[in-house]
Amino acid sequence: MDSSQQDPDPKSKVLQQEGLNQNSGDEVSTLASADPGGQSDTLAEPTAGTALVFGRRYPQLDHPARTVGAVLESNDFYPGRSGRNHLRVLALAAGLPFSRVEEVLDAVRLVSAAARPVRSYSLGMRQRLGLAAALLGEPELLILDEPINGLDPAGVHWLRTFLRGFAARGGTVLVSSHVLAEVAQTVDRVLIIDNGRLLADATVDELARRGQSLEAAYLELTTADAS
Amino acid sequence: MKAQLRSELCKLRSTWTVASVVAAMLVLVTLAVLLHGFGLSASRLTSLPDQRGVFTDVGVNLGALFAGLLGALSITGEIRSGTIRPTLLVTPRRGLVIAAKAVTALAAGFVAGVISAGAAAGAGSAAFASRGLTIQLGAGDYAQLILGGGAAAAMWALIGLGLGAVIRAQVPAIVALFAWLLFVENIIGGDLPSVNRFAPGALALALAGQQRTGILHTPAVAAFLLAFYAALAVAAGRTAMTRRDVG
Repeated sequence: MDSSQQDPDPKSKVLQQEGLNQNSGDEVSTLASADPGGQSDTLAEPTAGTALVFGRRYPQLDHPARTVGAVLESNDFYPGRSGRNHLRVLALAAGLPFSRVEEVLDAVRLVSAAARPVRSYSLGMRQRLGLAAALLGEPELLILDEPINGLDPAGVHWLRTFLRGFAARGGTVLVSSHVLAEVAQTVDRVLIIDNGRLLADATVDELARRGQSLEAAYLELTTADAS
Repeated sequence: MKAQLRSELCKLRSTWTVASVVAAMLVLVTLAVLLHGFGLSASRLTSLPDQRGVFTDVGVNLGALFAGLLGALSITGEIRSGTIRPTLLVTPRRGLVIAAKAVTALAAGFVAGVISAGAAAGAGSAAFASRGLTIQLGAGDYAQLILGGGAAAAMWALIGLGLGAVIRAQVPAIVALFAWLLFVENIIGGDLPSVNRFAPGALALALAGQQRTGILHTPAVAAFLLAFYAALAVAAGRTAMTRRDVG
């Protein structure tokens, strides 16, 4: 994701990337055309083309964790390790103090469960722990893949509020999701990608002015693309 | 490197994996050496090579095996659980991750090897003494057994790490380690002792002082060759990690 492609409108801080393409090697920003089986590698080493984050390849960032926070799978934890220790392992690698671990545990409301092994966590708690890991370095950009999977209605509401707050404080959020009705309530801007091509890049307000719901726009564009 | 090293040490300390592997090793080594110590006829336990052979066959061999397991688990455990993704997101330079894992595997392997050889020497010597056998090993022999066993296990932890990074799947990596040390080298040792001298398991025994047929009688050469194998394994693991998708 090149920084030049980000967020021309300062109000549009939360992006929605839809229909994440499964082909690799497309010229659309590689992050957007990633094979879902290899998102982390797309950040590190795309199979073709160049993926730039803030103008640089991911491995060349001075402080990756302070620049990008990403949640690519909801279950990337060692089951026997506690939530707190999972975060401490990452904090040590990123050169961050343990006090930051406590801050993000508090931010995602996991303090009371932090000492328990992750195997005892619900899917929603795991989602929040993944988010806590992504937030450790106070990154400028958050990349979340299907973040509402496994969340109950209260959790979805909490995440929506959290992401809006992150964006309001100047951060950028890129969310990949197939739950169109939910993301329509959360995001400012939509990128619809199908078969490796960017089919639409519009704000939710622009879609509304055309009298289209996100779902209708998605179906129209992807059906036309298929035919 | 220092930050990644501290992270890797925290990984080791924050689960029961290492403690469980070492505890299992300790039980197995003690049982096996007691079986040998009490089960073998006294005539086969009178000379220095015979007595030391029991300690190395059990303590050094199993120490190398379990150290190899620790090395392999340090990478296959991350791939299996998925923690490799957050690890590489924070530290995208994969060579650095493998280097830090190599240093921690080296240390953990050395400790495991010392514990294994020490347990074999302690329990085995006690068994011999209780049967009225004269212990033939001197302080220098014990030191070589324990420190050589530790050094050999440290190298085997690196071999395990490299193998784990190449194979990636946990169970096949573990099976490969078991199969090589407990079966393949036994077969080569019986049929081709001149070749077996240069096999990594036999080199571990040589480093700890074993002097039977099919074993190098120069520990320094054994140490050099084993370090060469370990370096080769880590280099292969680093290449595999750098070039392949972690999913």
